[in-house]
Amino acid sequence: MRHAQFIARTVFVHNNNVEEACRLLNRILGKEEIFDQFRRTRFYEKPYQVRRRVNFEKCKAIYNEDMNRKIQFVLRKNRVDPFPGCN
Amino acid sequence: MFIKSSILAGINCIKQCTILSKSALIHTSVILRKAEDRKEMLASLPAKDEGTAGEKSVDIDTLFNRRAKSFPDATTATKLFNGIPFNELPICNIRVSPNNTIISVTDYKGVPRLIRSCGIEGFKNTRKGTNIAAQATAVTIGAKAVELGWKTIRVKVRGLGPGRMSAIKGLQMGGLNIVSVTDNTPVSWNPPRPRKQRSL
Repeated sequence: MRHAQFIARTVFVHNNNVEEACRLLNRILGKEEIFDQFRRTRFYEKPYQVRRRVNFEKCKAIYNEDMNRKIQFVLRKNRVDPFPGCN
Repeated sequence: MFIKSSILAGINCIKQCTILSKSALIHTSVILRKAEDRKEMLASLPAKDEGTAGEKSVDIDTLFNRRAKSFPDATTATKLFNGIPFNELPICNIRVSPNNTIISVTDYKGVPRLIRSCGIEGFKNTRKGTNIAAQATAVTIGAKAVELGWKTIRVKVRGLGPGRMSAIKGLQMGGLNIVSVTDNTPVSWNPPRPRKQRSL
């Protein structure tokens, strides 16, 4: 992927806090699955491995969706201010 | 007396049975056992440091600092840092791999002035691929860049490896003022066929 240099994937450092800037950058790149893709393309992934991985990811996404719904159901609040005294 | 002996015999029988059931864990095929051992060993090892701290975790502290402007925009290029516009600041390129870290300092046009790697620094073989080596290299190159009169720089990191984080920290220890950190890792979604998998 070609991007404008020093515009894309760039984070400013505040108060000489380099570590925090790096962590922010790493978190974003990790969430966007850029690191995952980088690691995956170091070695050739055989077609059977691709199929296995994709199927696993599908199953995981279905499980996560259902689990999130369950958690939201258990945590539901039936009052005007859901978290009194928190704001 | 007869009852007692029969009970004892029963217990012995049960003991033997359990031993027999344990024998199911004993593999006759050596290779299979070896693969399993390796898997167990790899699972028990600590996670490899790739310099990507914060990739999977969220710090609560950082969430509060969101008001500070962390990302560049259209006005960034002309913004002054220590009297120099952003797009004319010297660049420090860090090339990280699992086995080495190469740091070079260029001017804003990209003409290299200084270059140093963990190998040049005196670390040899596997020691090149450690965070300590990367930090030491970064400290020396940072000090040299300060001698050139380049105190304020922007950093470009490329690749994953143990030196990713520590090299940036080392530059700061060497006396440089880092304005921004950019990731320049080449990632493609339709790359040419990579080399074959390592056999484990």
